[in-house]
Amino acid sequence: MTETTVTPERPLVVEEGETRPGFIGQNIPRKEDKRLVQGEGVFFDDIKRHEMGFVHFVRSPYAHARIKTVDVAKALELDGVYGTLTGDEVAILTDPFFELSTPPGAHIKDYALAVGKVRHVGDPVAAVVARTRELARDAAELVEVDYEPLPLVLDGEQALADEVVLHDDAGSNTVWSGTFDWGDFEGAMAEADHVVKIERLHFDRFSSTPLECSGCLVEYNRGTGQWTIYGNHQMPGVGAIWMAPALRVGLDKLRFVSQDIGGGFGNKITLHPQFTACCLLARKLNRPVQWTEWRTDQHTANTHGNERTFLDVTVPVKADGTMLGFSVKAIDDCGAFPRYEPLGCIIWAQVTPGCYRWRNVRVDFTQVCTNKSPVAPNRGYSRMQHLWLTERIVDIVASELELDPVEVRKKNYVKHEEFPYETPNGCIYDSGDYARCLDIALDLIGYDSLEERRRDAESRGKLFGIGIGSTLDSGTNNFGQSMILNPDLQFSGNNEVATVKLDIFGEVVVTLGTVPQGQGHETTASQVVAEILGCTPDDVTVRAGHDSYWNSHAGFSGTYASQFAVTGLGAVKGAADKLAGEMKQLAAAVFGATPDDIELAEGQARIKGNPEAALPFMALGAILNANNAGLPEDLDITLNVRYVYRPPFQKPDLDRKYGNLTLTYATQIHACALEVDPETGVYEIVDYAAVDDCGNRIHPQIVEGQVHGATAQALGAATHEIFTYDEEGNLLTPNFYDYHVPHALDMPPMKNGFIESESPFTPLGAKGMGEGGGAGIHAVCAALQNALGRRGEGPIVWRSCNPYHRVWEMLQQPEQTRRLVEVESR
Amino acid sequence: MDVEVTVNGEAYERDVEPRKLLIHFLRDDLDLTGSHIGCDTGNCGACSVIVDGVLLKSCMMLAVQADGAKIETVEGLAQDGELNGLQQAFSDHHALQCGYCTPGMLMSATALLRANPRPSEDDIRKGIQGNLCRCTGYVNIVDAIKAAAE
Amino acid sequence: MLLREVEYARPASVQEALRLLSDQEGARALAGGQTLINVMKARAASPDALVDLNGLDELKGIDLGSDGTVTIGAMVTYSEVIGSAEARARPILGEVCAQIADVQVRNRGTVGGNVCSNDPTNHLPPLMVSLGATMHITGPGGERTVAAEEFFLGVYMTAAGPGELLTRISVPPGKSDGFASVAIGKDGTCIVNAAASVNGGARVALGCVDAVPVLLKTDSAEEDAVRAALQGANLDPPSDVHASADYRRHLAEVVAVRAVAQARGKS
Repeated sequence: MTETTVTPERPLVVEEGETRPGFIGQNIPRKEDKRLVQGEGVFFDDIKRHEMGFVHFVRSPYAHARIKTVDVAKALELDGVYGTLTGDEVAILTDPFFELSTPPGAHIKDYALAVGKVRHVGDPVAAVVARTRELARDAAELVEVDYEPLPLVLDGEQALADEVVLHDDAGSNTVWSGTFDWGDFEGAMAEADHVVKIERLHFDRFSSTPLECSGCLVEYNRGTGQWTIYGNHQMPGVGAIWMAPALRVGLDKLRFVSQDIGGGFGNKITLHPQFTACCLLARKLNRPVQWTEWRTDQHTANTHGNERTFLDVTVPVKADGTMLGFSVKAIDDCGAFPRYEPLGCIIWAQVTPGCYRWRNVRVDFTQVCTNKSPVAPNRGYSRMQHLWLTERIVDIVASELELDPVEVRKKNYVKHEEFPYETPNGCIYDSGDYARCLDIALDLIGYDSLEERRRDAESRGKLFGIGIGSTLDSGTNNFGQSMILNPDLQFSGNNEVATVKLDIFGEVVVTLGTVPQGQGHETTASQVVAEILGCTPDDVTVRAGHDSYWNSHAGFSGTYASQFAVTGLGAVKGAADKLAGEMKQLAAAVFGATPDDIELAEGQARIKGNPEAALPFMALGAILNANNAGLPEDLDITLNVRYVYRPPFQKPDLDRKYGNLTLTYATQIHACALEVDPETGVYEIVDYAAVDDCGNRIHPQIVEGQVHGATAQALGAATHEIFTYDEEGNLLTPNFYDYHVPHALDMPPMKNGFIESESPFTPLGAKGMGEGGGAGIHAVCAALQNALGRRGEGPIVWRSCNPYHRVWEMLQQPEQTRRLVEVESR
Repeated sequence: MDVEVTVNGEAYERDVEPRKLLIHFLRDDLDLTGSHIGCDTGNCGACSVIVDGVLLKSCMMLAVQADGAKIETVEGLAQDGELNGLQQAFSDHHALQCGYCTPGMLMSATALLRANPRPSEDDIRKGIQGNLCRCTGYVNIVDAIKAAAE
Repeated sequence: MLLREVEYARPASVQEALRLLSDQEGARALAGGQTLINVMKARAASPDALVDLNGLDELKGIDLGSDGTVTIGAMVTYSEVIGSAEARARPILGEVCAQIADVQVRNRGTVGGNVCSNDPTNHLPPLMVSLGATMHITGPGGERTVAAEEFFLGVYMTAAGPGELLTRISVPPGKSDGFASVAIGKDGTCIVNAAASVNGGARVALGCVDAVPVLLKTDSAEEDAVRAALQGANLDPPSDVHASADYRRHLAEVVAVRAVAQARGKS
């Protein structure tokens, strides 16, 4: 950006839903802000405990090696060192974390520290605890580890050959493998007028790198055997499911507490190995222990987004531009340990045909381990990679067959009148209007003046390109999809919990099961409760953060997968509705009326049409809790409600790999205009539009903020953010010096638009949103393709991340990528 | 070594190792945990504070170097629990989500507005160039600072 | 992120600083800290002692001589250069300093630190070479000067040896200067950079392509002369995650031509 950036105007809201009275849909001030802008948030590293010890992990410098010996003697001699932990101890004290996959992946043994072998640079081998952070770091240098380096494998396709195998217990690098075949792909091929073949596409490794790194402070109560973990695990429901059996204790012995978390984006879901190590240390050393992950640790070891190679993409197309489906062989590289994987092997199927009405899809999917950092469900998890594939397909087919990129999308998009739309594998897209979103995006970016802008750019010696990225943000998972991968898994459906109570002094207090990292849950929850109870959000206290002791959580609790507006607020609504019912029952009992006669408004329960007969909340709370003599015996209320929201899911059909896998589908359609300097390969995004449709927006500002943030992350992933390795398995972008995250001057001018297509399936008509589905990546790739490659000539953009040197290579040797595409016309 | 500092108007004196970074001194020794750490190469700016009137990243300064200095951190912005104009603007414009970059962002904005009370949008973006945010895409942060300047 | 143990001293005079640096072999000067402290965090290098130069007024200040020479104290920060009326006598100085990193770094990072650390991707080494600056060094043997083009010896190595300090840099008068770079992100780390000065012919100093800036001199400031000089230079740049050797070599030519064109435009 060279000139002054044009301020994005107020977001264009094309269609406000009908005006709703009350707080839902309003931009109320965020409850979280007051403490955060004063630096009074409580992040895990802010918490201190008397005599706590600081943990430093000794990490492997090798990508693959046998551990011959680990000698901590010298470290223990250092004054101020409290103790150590090694893999040998871990192997005795814990059982391996359970694996989600079928054999061979099922046989992988994953522990809190490396046992027997290290499998990626940065793999923790031992832990040292000392009085200060610096001493722990010093002592770590004194730990002597004798390694026997082994050959390594850094490429997913090579890993398939099993020449170098990471996990001897599994005997193969393949974590999971399966085929998906829906519709009639052979029939589609027979019907096609053109067949476009793309030899390979590659979705690069990157991560959303939350600004706050991972960490925890763990206390162990010897008397009760209770661990308290003050840490930023964003899905503690699942964290506990991994950790408790490993530690050989019941789930309740692990209390997870967090208040504020500095971003997660999926990278704080698989913290169980490090947290388990800290639990063992806290117990062994009988003192609180604290672990802070540093940026380089996060990049090298914890975690990356899935890297996926798409081979032999085959697309049957009709003469009029209708695409009939596609087939592909996908190889997913999950790094050294699967952990949350192989769920990524099915999660993409939530959006099998992307935004399109394709009925015939065949996917041959294999996931492998390599000697790289393990992956985690990074923002957009598995759908982003797949949606990028569908957008590259549309973009490349349009380019090769000279189809208009806008018209071909509209022709192939699921149509507004077709919702709810069932995809070939039984997922139900709830609502949307993709063509309309596209029109808005094009209008915002001034698509009509495209040719004029191209001429202007060319007069300045630049190549100009415009690209569209369509994506879906599927949210609220049916965990039954895991059974498609492994029928023996006992996971299905989903849940989230909330409690709402009316206290003695009339305070309304809410607890959530979620683990917010900036999504404004306290605020939106208060909006929903206020509207139902007839008070204001200021009257509603929502406890900050997460605490297992609130008993406000269930198996799937956490903040992930674009679902809070559905699951979290669904639980809040359910609890608030029930509480409202109880309040009316109580008021009715007091007034000698029936509950139907009672309304809740202005902080009171009162008889409809007789506002004089009113009981303020304080009175209700006091009566039940402290002054309840004389109440009817059959008045079965507590004014303290716990509600578990359960989305309506069935178990999928495992044979056909068929069923509804997610409840809601938010849309994001982006358009990107960029200019490429053909002399250098340097490019600049000069204009950008993002249109979002997430159904009823509970708090529009929060939704818009998520769109801005998802776009920024996608633009980073499209331009500079990539995890590249050298031949020895060293990460070449291990910190923010080399891994360039966009700053304020890197951002293009952004224009935003929104529509609201209510979801018919959710308690509030809202859809989950936030991940964003990587639309920015799709749009930038399309824009580069438009700028660089035209009509059967020029290069093909086949990778998701295109730093300047890749653009340069494409400019210099277009034939190298051109040959990846073949068109057969009949 | 002995270090005496004044932070947000309050005097502190501690004995610290020369190797201790200023950010660790603030957070661990003085319990001023408002300033944060987001990286290990001086890129992210979460640790930004103002020392003797100069905006800097406290992860690239030793505590001992701050001996005798007047330091301003996020904890000093609000007066008696009342948010200042900049803090209020951040909240009004939803310029924070997780809040982790926010203290550093506020200090950079404070330094910017002191030096340049009527910044252009480009000035604002330059002023926060050294503060990374992964949540907001900077859109609302720029709006908030603009609003606070008016 | 966590430094090894280190001793620390904050001398009040250059003489005291020199003595501290000579007394201990493992002593290093600490200037702005925007490079050295990061190096120490990574434990890539761990001096035994740090001699903090931030209290030395003798190393501050920018002087504009009557002949137009701009003399910059080694401990002058990038921000101070940008804000200095004296430095504006040679505008390229402030223009290049304004491209370094961000406000916070510019408020602490120093001109002396930038040239003495001589990271191949730094901005000021090629700039000082193209400007024909003079480096003033003081040490146990007294004061001496070294031309910028002889000052840079290797990666992280300059003519200011152990026990010595760079005290100031003199920049001769002139205005026909240019600077061009390709960086990762706006004002990010340079993949390649070039500084040029034109006075009839051109002096072009290339950064990022070798351990030290590569200086090319041409008789004419026209584009073909610059390209010819680049080709004749037989550059052998490094390969890294941001650029292959070939790409870097190509970019070097592009930025050299652009820098000279900028300089020419101001003649």
